[in-house]
Amino acid sequence: MACWLPGACPAWADQELALTIKHHQFEPSEVRARAGEKILLKVTNADSTPEEFESSALNREQLIRSGHTVTIHLPALKPGSYEFYGEFNPKTATGRLIVE
Amino acid sequence: MLATFVITWRETIEAALIVGILLAYLRKIGHQHEFRYIFVGAAAAVIASGLFAGASSLATRLVEWIGEELFDALILLAAVAVLTYMVVWMHHNAREIKGELLSKADQALARRRLWALGTLAFVGVFREGVETVLFLWGLLLQAGPVANVTLQVAGGLGGVAVGVVMAWLFFKGFGHLDLRPFFKVTGVLLLFIAAGMLSSAVGRLIAGGWLPPLIEPLWDSSWLLNERSLIGSLVAGFFGYRSHPSLLELLVYVGYFPLVLFWLRKEHHDLAQ
Repeated sequence: MACWLPGACPAWADQELALTIKHHQFEPSEVRARAGEKILLKVTNADSTPEEFESSALNREQLIRSGHTVTIHLPALKPGSYEFYGEFNPKTATGRLIVE
Repeated sequence: MLATFVITWRETIEAALIVGILLAYLRKIGHQHEFRYIFVGAAAAVIASGLFAGASSLATRLVEWIGEELFDALILLAAVAVLTYMVVWMHHNAREIKGELLSKADQALARRRLWALGTLAFVGVFREGVETVLFLWGLLLQAGPVANVTLQVAGGLGGVAVGVVMAWLFFKGFGHLDLRPFFKVTGVLLLFIAAGMLSSAVGRLIAGGWLPPLIEPLWDSSWLLNERSLIGSLVAGFFGYRSHPSLLELLVYVGYFPLVLFWLRKEHHDLAQ
């Protein structure tokens, strides 16, 4: 559940990962997480143009305006490699979440 | 250029289908003069998209405040509500259309219908409109050789243009059907689009942490059909297909149909009284 009282709420997930979109690339392009635990993925768009974080493996699609940060809630995942990309710059903005 | 074309074209598929069906519907009931309500709805959506794509307007600050996921979910839910109303309405109307004169009651209902049509055209276009405007604006903003940027923008605009052409093609195509098949076919299509939008809304709420996915992913059917492929985009746009759906999205999608059919049956029963 989204929490309306900052600081007074239990953490939704123990794992928090951060990605930054810079020069139409994800930094870092590879992030790691533990299997079997929920993941909070924060993606910041540091470019001056919008980007859409997209991953069919993770079943997530999220528009991120320039300068904004979105928090994507991910369920506990099985071990594996989950690809994601930037829909607006699919050739350069690619990355993967490695769950182990 | 092709890359940007494909990106914007995919955004317009669903809106093109909705607008095409609405125009064909008006033509079928002999109300072509009401086309303008659809066009006004779509034009208003384009303007609203521009507002919501702006750098720091009241609109964008509103989105920032409630969160992008919640905002998307609300737009989708509004679209589902109007779409469902339209399907029930069209089903009801199919029985009445025999060139009868409009009674006073019909006129009141006709005004409600126009609102529904205009609103549906609006949400259909607005849903991906903000994204499309943002994307195109981003293309214009980027640094690089003028020739490159021009090609990319041209591709992007081309995708939108083809979307408009598609709407016209759907209008012509569906228009050729006879009355009963028309209402059957478009009714079913609109139901699938609504179910897809409903599960997408739920997907947004899951991504935002408001709802639990229950089981995610429920399956992996990307070997069969991937949303990124051409056919996959169409199936995803028309029918809400996902290769790695969550259980909650599937339940909502499947559960939508019996709910609407129940409502349709109830309307049918009420009319028979």
